[in-house]
Amino acid sequence: MDKSLQVTVMYLLTHVGLIFFMYPTEIIESVPIGHWSPILLGFLFHVTLLGIFTKGLSYFKSQNLIDIFLGAGKAFAVILLVPVTFYFLMEIVIMVRAYSEIIKMIFLENTPIWAIIALLLAVTTMISSLGIETVFRTGLLIAVLFLPIFLLVLSISFQNADWRYVFPLMDERAVSLSYVLSRPFLLSLFAFAGGFTFLGFIQPYIPYKRRSVMGASALLLPLFLISVYVPLLTFGQNTVFELQFPFITAIDTVNITWLMFDRVTMFFMITLICFVLLFFSLVMWKATLLIRRALPFIRPIPAKLLLALALFILCLQIPDFKTVEQLLWWNTFLRLYVTIAIPFITLILGIRHHRKGAVFS
Amino acid sequence: MELLERLQSRQKQDADLFLHRMLLARQPVTLTGYKSLIDLPHTMMLLQQQAQNAVAEDRPLFALASGIGEYMNDADEQAVIAAISEGNLVVFPDGSDMTFKLTPVNRTLSRSIEAPTTENVLRGSISAFIEDIDTNLGILKKQFISDKLRIQSYWVGTDQRRRAIILYTEGKASSKFNHDLIQKIESNLDKDIPNLQALAHVLGFSKWVLAPGFNTTELPQNAAWALGQGKTVLFLDRFPFAIIMPSVIMDMFAAENDHNFLPIFMFIIRFLRIIGVLSNMLMPGLYVALVSVNPDVLRIELALSIAGSREGVPYPAVFETLLLLVILELTLESSVRLPKTIGPTITMVGGIILGQAVVQAQLVSNVLIIILAATTIASFAVVGFNNAVIIRLPKYLILILSAMYGVLGLFVGMMLVCASLASASVFGIPYLYKWKAREHSDG
Repeated sequence: MDKSLQVTVMYLLTHVGLIFFMYPTEIIESVPIGHWSPILLGFLFHVTLLGIFTKGLSYFKSQNLIDIFLGAGKAFAVILLVPVTFYFLMEIVIMVRAYSEIIKMIFLENTPIWAIIALLLAVTTMISSLGIETVFRTGLLIAVLFLPIFLLVLSISFQNADWRYVFPLMDERAVSLSYVLSRPFLLSLFAFAGGFTFLGFIQPYIPYKRRSVMGASALLLPLFLISVYVPLLTFGQNTVFELQFPFITAIDTVNITWLMFDRVTMFFMITLICFVLLFFSLVMWKATLLIRRALPFIRPIPAKLLLALALFILCLQIPDFKTVEQLLWWNTFLRLYVTIAIPFITLILGIRHHRKGAVFS
Repeated sequence: MELLERLQSRQKQDADLFLHRMLLARQPVTLTGYKSLIDLPHTMMLLQQQAQNAVAEDRPLFALASGIGEYMNDADEQAVIAAISEGNLVVFPDGSDMTFKLTPVNRTLSRSIEAPTTENVLRGSISAFIEDIDTNLGILKKQFISDKLRIQSYWVGTDQRRRAIILYTEGKASSKFNHDLIQKIESNLDKDIPNLQALAHVLGFSKWVLAPGFNTTELPQNAAWALGQGKTVLFLDRFPFAIIMPSVIMDMFAAENDHNFLPIFMFIIRFLRIIGVLSNMLMPGLYVALVSVNPDVLRIELALSIAGSREGVPYPAVFETLLLLVILELTLESSVRLPKTIGPTITMVGGIILGQAVVQAQLVSNVLIIILAATTIASFAVVGFNNAVIIRLPKYLILILSAMYGVLGLFVGMMLVCASLASASVFGIPYLYKWKAREHSDG
């Protein structure tokens, strides 16, 4: 049975969860004028890699990344996949820590940080231990329930926009792409890079059509643009540069007179956090899949519980948000490896597999 | 005859068992069966008539077995007891090893067809299923006239024999699902099914999943609709419901009866039911989250008025809410089993006197009374009584998470409920499945 809808929804939700917190900050830091340039560049990067990755995967009929890499040799697979596993675990630790910090900062000031981390990890572990199909179906249900809130807030977020702030449209820096190797831009790539690797792991369980995911990626571009341009149009470049979470602050300025709630921001953010939790569950599932492939004697539930405990302890070791940012930066190199090397290797293996198949037939 | 002697000794412990000797066309025979199930005088009269006819036509007496009964080969005590517990009459001719069982005239032991008691019909047939399985089958077959209807009958259980009938529509039902279901039942024929929990256990459903694996209905039209949609209907003897499998999420919101209204009205009703379920699950949690953890989310006027109504309440919002929720559950639980004449008293005492007094004594706030009343009403907006029972549970999980984490806990609780629903499936058909009859939206 084709489950393209579930995959597309999941692909969108995971990205939506990642876009609106740190991404606008990094983009606004990377260029002072012409923000469309890094956004478009990042998006092109994303679409290209997505295309390469799914093309590579499409050469193999219902095989996941691990099987594909194992097909090319055991040592090869181990060398290539160990960093991927490590990256997934790092990603959960960093993101859980970062998001719990954001949650504490914005709306749970009196709750201890360990309690928030425990909640996030417990939910992640529970959902991922119910199986990958459950994760995807939950995604669909969550989308039906929460996307209306998300879209409502998104559509009213332009309330205080001053369109003159769009100008100036470009300067030399934006056109010459000289920001490409700058730290903020490389950091901003996490919003493009995090989400799509799951496509390589779900294949035998959840079949999907490549076309529908590629089509859905077009829906992301307006979201990337909105996440940067809404705060920019609300506050202007000079002010927005000072803000830690520009988009959230921009939404906070919105005032809906007919609603009984004063801070729609909170509902918006929590919706996003739920999407992120779904993303965590997915990453957790991928990580356990990889770990259990290497160490098949561990049973899935104990494996997940042990992993969750380890991640919890690791999360507690990170003292503050500064360290989180530092870790996020270190993780950038691993991320670039996972998002650039893995798709290309998959494509190469795919083409080789295809040719071999052609010779045999 | 050894078997007869054993039956005689059994008779001493079982007063209901009769062993009746009579002459059937000059042939002495012994009849045995249960007094409570068989109308003996009528049965004997019919037997005499049959025997006379047989003699008149020069047919051997035992040919009558081929008409209204059957020979029992190698009948031992166990087989005879099984046959008579099913309501048959067993005949032992003297001086012969042959045994045969006949279908006797049964006593009328079931009520006539009445209106449903747990489901109301606004527009549609008012007959409801009764305890007798054959009557149920008859009602359903009258409602669903089709040559594609397939029926399979089983006797299940060893200590308590019970008949079970499976019905499905050939060509519409998923053959894999039916195959798995029938195989599961056939491999568990020796297990007793005294109640639905036992049925769920026999079918291998998990105890920890919130979603129901099957729906029950009293209404023949609902069962017929389910058959038309390709679902499987199971009847159990002495159980006045049809069990419809598999259950999917839309069954909570869509009923056959909705189709008797205008389409636009039907969609609105279904949307309303979804709102009902959501508000039933979320409102107590939202109240606690907004009062005790995130009061800044509310508009200041509203926050002040809620805080004002909570003035003098001595304990945290979560206890206040739990206290009243438990009282409401108690009211529901006690009014379910009360006779209809006392029910209204409970409603009045619980609703008006207690509600008013509890506010005046400043044990809970006014706003909470409103919220909990709305919650309780909303919990019965769903279709089917068993769904209404099930959705009462998740709000406690959400309530506790909200008390700990505020609005975040509310949303996370909702996510956990969603995940729990998403993980449920029956023989490979997930609960969140959009059923094949494609004319309905899935909300």
